Amino acid sequence: MINELKDPRKTFGEAVIEAAANNPNIVVLSADSSSGSGLGDFPAKYPDRHFEFGIMEQGVIGFASGLATTGKIPVFAAIAPFVTARPFEMFRNDLGYMNQNVKVVGRCAGLTYDQLGSTHHSIDDVAIIRTIPGVTIINPGDPVTIRKAVHAMIKHVGPCYMKIGSPKMPVLYEEDVDFNLGKGIVIKDGRDVALIGTGTVLSKAVAAARLLEESGISVRLIDIHTIKPLDRELILSAARETGNIVTVEEHFIAGGLGSAIAEICSQECPVKMKMIGIGDQYASNGPYEELLGKYGLQPDQIKESVIKFLKNK
Amino acid sequence: MLCGICQETPGLRKVMFFENLMDAKEILKLEYTALNIRRNILRLIRAGEAGHVGGALSSVEIVTALYFNVMNVDPGNPKWPQRDRFVLSAGHKCLVLYAALAERGFFNVSVLDTYGALDSPIPGHPNMHKISGIETNTGALGHGLSIAGGMALGLRMDKSQSRVFVLMGDGELAEGSNWEAASAASMHKLDNLIVFIDRNKLQISGPTIQVMSYEPLDERWRSFGWSVRIIDGHDLESIIRNVKQAPFEKGKPSVIIADTLKSKGLSFAEGKVSYHYWKAKPEEFEIAERDLDDIENQLKAKMEEVGL
Repeated sequence: MINELKDPRKTFGEAVIEAAANNPNIVVLSADSSSGSGLGDFPAKYPDRHFEFGIMEQGVIGFASGLATTGKIPVFAAIAPFVTARPFEMFRNDLGYMNQNVKVVGRCAGLTYDQLGSTHHSIDDVAIIRTIPGVTIINPGDPVTIRKAVHAMIKHVGPCYMKIGSPKMPVLYEEDVDFNLGKGIVIKDGRDVALIGTGTVLSKAVAAARLLEESGISVRLIDIHTIKPLDRELILSAARETGNIVTVEEHFIAGGLGSAIAEICSQECPVKMKMIGIGDQYASNGPYEELLGKYGLQPDQIKESVIKFLKNK
Repeated sequence: MLCGICQETPGLRKVMFFENLMDAKEILKLEYTALNIRRNILRLIRAGEAGHVGGALSSVEIVTALYFNVMNVDPGNPKWPQRDRFVLSAGHKCLVLYAALAERGFFNVSVLDTYGALDSPIPGHPNMHKISGIETNTGALGHGLSIAGGMALGLRMDKSQSRVFVLMGDGELAEGSNWEAASAASMHKLDNLIVFIDRNKLQISGPTIQVMSYEPLDERWRSFGWSVRIIDGHDLESIIRNVKQAPFEKGKPSVIIADTLKSKGLSFAEGKVSYHYWKAKPEEFEIAERDLDDIENQLKAKMEEVGL
């Protein structure tokens, strides 16, 4: 039901269990992390397909790569920085360079581990994993697309990184929404500005778009749930047809969704852009919604940023 | 012939292994293969003008035993699902792997002449996508064991009889990721996993025990839950006899610490740290050829004695 709040981790775990029922090759690897990733029921349901490793994310990535060579589809979910920044080299070599069919899931991503501080925030994961050729990066923005993303990720052959948050998030889509890896979703058409959101703050972009419409600004609202490969046609048509792009992400401005879009637009259809995200600093700690406010990611702040951007153009 | 006693597990049951007589002729043939592999390594160095020769030459007998006696592999069907797997954790030893794969027929030996060239299918660290017979992309040290552990786990899930062999250097044991994998392999009882450590005792900066010692290696591995043996890594008969007895204990991964001599076979380079990576001078090639010719002459004399 639209706007119903759902737990992203629980949604993710249920989708994996659902997929595992139909695909015996799915195995789940845990770095003392399955229960915290919504996969608490998996070991009891599939005891022969769940492997516990304790807190050793680098090792787990290697084991996942080796398992994939035998046709298994390893799913490895843990706290986002510990499956990306910590084992980056293993991700690059064992999964990317070896092109292994492994699904890595960073949960509690972005700032959602709010008061736990910068060691536990993951606002660089897209930037670093994006440099690895052949890795699909999925950042779904609501519970419906989280579930669909899990099934799409399992179906896709190749290394994937998916990120999800931690606090309950609102349902934004009807169950029958068309979800395809690599294809963005135009939630609402518009002509003055393209507002492009992703992941945990997609709902903030949706709310901001509503506020902007109330102010008389026509917004093309786009969900980029697959950051790599990026839906270049959708991005370029938005650039051509609106002439203004604003990106919204719970990530460093350096290397994130905005950067990825700028890499395409600056070369193929230069337009003025505004990137809303976290600047070159370690994010602070505190209650999640207040942290988002600190970095300008609440709907009214996004609205103000867009209005200012359009005025100064 | 009695094939030995578990000398390395004092206190445990001492078992006499009555295995098939390891034919002396067969060993001589393997020694000849090892010589050809050393010649192939020299050929690679001629092509590339330089390479990580020290650790490649110290592990020639281990790789020869595996590819020419122990492992079930099919060069004509390199992805055969029932094959045994070989993971070269110390990816810089790739010269010995390329030399052995060519000798075993995975690809034409002329490929060795491309070493160092633009787009060569045999880069300075192996790439599974570029040539037949390579199982993993290694080179970033100290991490092959994790990948091998995953292979062993997957093969066991499939109730496969295939085994996973790993070749590690002693210097790379300082990488922490190894010990994550060592713990996990033991915890998951991966007795289809067999590791060789090429203990040539030297790394790029000097003797391994001076750079960063992980000795005593046997005790360290045993404390991680592995079954351990120490052998002469240039003794083909010993390598084969021991590896055929793996797993040394049911339910435990096995590690064979193979004592070796770095740059084995090249008189001017043996045991010298400066030949970890060899930029070959023309006069050194001449000596190297003579060294290998000497080995060949000795081998031929021995072979004649036994009617080969």
